[in-house]
Amino acid sequence: MLKTAIAALGLGMAMGMSLASPVLAADAPSEIKLGTLYASSGRYASISMPVHAGLKLWVEQKNAEGGVYVKAFDKKIPIKLIAYDDQSNTATASTLYNQLITQDKVDLFVADSGSVLTAPAVTIARDHKMFLFDQTGTGGSFFSKDNPYIALMSDPVSTIWPKPIADFLTKDGPALGIKRVAILYSTNEFTGTQANSLRKFIKDANAPIEIVYDQGVPTETTNYTVILNNIRAAKPDAVIHLGYAPNDIAFLRNVQDVGIKFNMLFCIYPGLETELLEKNVGAKGLQHVFTYVPPSEMAYPVNFGMNIADYRKAWDKKYSDGKIEFGFNAVAGYTTALVIEKTLSVATSLDQMELRKAVFSLSGKLKTLDGTFALDETGGQIGELTPLGQLELNDHGHIKFVAVYPHEVATGKPVYPRP
Amino acid sequence: MPSFVRHLLLIVAPLIAAFAILPGVYDNHLLLFNFVIFLILAQGVNIIYGFTGYLPFGYVGFFGAGAYGFAIMVMHFQTPAPLAVLVAGVVGVLLGLLLTPLLRLSGAYFAIANLAAALAVLHFVANPALESITKGPYGVALNGTFNPTLAYVGAVIILALTLGIVVFLRNSSFGMALQAVREDAVSAAMAGVNVVKMRVIAWLASALVAGLAGGVFAWYVSVFYPDNVFSNDFSIFAIVFALFGGVATIMGPIVGVLILYGVYNLIGFTTPQYFQLIYGVLIMALVLFLPAGLVSLATRRGWNVP
Repeated sequence: MLKTAIAALGLGMAMGMSLASPVLAADAPSEIKLGTLYASSGRYASISMPVHAGLKLWVEQKNAEGGVYVKAFDKKIPIKLIAYDDQSNTATASTLYNQLITQDKVDLFVADSGSVLTAPAVTIARDHKMFLFDQTGTGGSFFSKDNPYIALMSDPVSTIWPKPIADFLTKDGPALGIKRVAILYSTNEFTGTQANSLRKFIKDANAPIEIVYDQGVPTETTNYTVILNNIRAAKPDAVIHLGYAPNDIAFLRNVQDVGIKFNMLFCIYPGLETELLEKNVGAKGLQHVFTYVPPSEMAYPVNFGMNIADYRKAWDKKYSDGKIEFGFNAVAGYTTALVIEKTLSVATSLDQMELRKAVFSLSGKLKTLDGTFALDETGGQIGELTPLGQLELNDHGHIKFVAVYPHEVATGKPVYPRP
Repeated sequence: MPSFVRHLLLIVAPLIAAFAILPGVYDNHLLLFNFVIFLILAQGVNIIYGFTGYLPFGYVGFFGAGAYGFAIMVMHFQTPAPLAVLVAGVVGVLLGLLLTPLLRLSGAYFAIANLAAALAVLHFVANPALESITKGPYGVALNGTFNPTLAYVGAVIILALTLGIVVFLRNSSFGMALQAVREDAVSAAMAGVNVVKMRVIAWLASALVAGLAGGVFAWYVSVFYPDNVFSNDFSIFAIVFALFGGVATIMGPIVGVLILYGVYNLIGFTTPQYFQLIYGVLIMALVLFLPAGLVSLATRRGWNVP
């Protein structure tokens, strides 16, 4: 009995001492394991690979400097990137996400790109109480007050993407002569949610704007000629097309083929993946098209990490073969990396809830090349907004961006109606 | 011992016991769950293709419909998850009934029509006009029913049921009659087999197990989009696994899933950069040298494969 009591006392003292003593650098792991997925093939490869390349660039850069500073151990520790290829297959992604957590025992859990491939990670992260660094999965259903294990790093949630378009249409539009708007969207979460939000923003504004055409089409749609004629028949002043890159390519090609000139035409991906669109549609086909202005064109002031010019140089050096396009997604992957780096520099341990606390502590303070990182209480990204811009040709016939809304970031006036 | 009982005791019971025990010794439960799901789907393909000759390229339609049947019951009627899984099975059967006219087609025509039907169901579910019912393209989040452990148990029970159906088909005059219909429908009809009735029953049984699998999948993953549960990868994998092992047997699809899905994950974990190369070579080798599946290695030697 006495022996048991002494043993218990000894154990208690030992535990107390271990809790009271600071974490020593000697206790530090030899590497921080960062687990993620990418899609080298399939439907989501075009968005996944640039994001992954951005993340990988950061890992190599930091490891060349001896690692990232980890406050919990007060020293630099190398990052070990564990990345599996899910090939755009969600069932495979589920298994691989689970592999990262249960077998590889990663310290940092990072999702693949886009909502469809992020969806399996949301449940798995919650199940295993791992904090999910959601790169570009903007789905509104991921974020709820009862799920603390997620935050969106590099894109605003889908619901607030089209705010600048709606504000431009309702505030500047009537003066320009825009009164009738057509909305065409692909029926998937990313673009369908934007269509819903755009519709709501326009209605809530009570501006003299009428939605004269509002149609969803399957994401697989590749021929828009009949749809274009229907839109033309509705006589809109502005046409807002919300689709993925392949949709935009097909749509803009069909616009050229049919020979229609809408006074205002908006598409998402000429701004987000300009190089890809220019290759497939041609600079002429993108002239005067309204789009989102990516961070690569805004040169946001940064207080952490490389600015856009330096990042572009580093990207061109590492990916000099040009196989992976530099664009919005390339910036997104690097932005995720910067949030992770900053998180490790303020988190007092690698406990998942401590990581969450550290991520949320950056909200509104961290300014990267992607803009200001800001989270709402559910982990949804409400910063990093993308202004509305218009593509024009410079003197050499190359594409250039002109930001037109909001006015405080505008770099020029909109060309309306399209000549 | 009757072969029916022997197959249950020597094949079904050990497999079910293995999948009941494995979560205790291996942490990647989702991998085990996916094995169970593909075993169910491969056996579902076996029921309709192996025993009747109809190749269902759009088999995922039943799976996705089941998943959304589960989601709708949980979202709108707050149905307990096990009951919602049963409803998912019923949804699969109802869709099967709706698509029964497809059985008038055969060969490639049936396969293509079935694929088109699955796409039609996908676009119906993902239609923004149905947002209030299915959440359209915006995805569902079923946080209230999230329980991976129970969902796994549910999947293993459905696997047992599916294997039970296949064992029955393998050992009953009903299964023999189906195979007779597959080989020559006219001769089978002249021998007194009700061809239409037989095909419809096999079709609905196949739809039932896919619907149940979809329901339990929705229960496990709880957050998904139409693209997740209507992904044609499910159909392709289930068909390839069944063909790899050998259809119209109990063991064939089991061997196919365990080997091929095992290799699939092994490559994915170790050498993802060579994924398509290794997997592609493996499937090409199968098509060229073992078109009747792995079990043909045994049947060629005159061995009886259950």
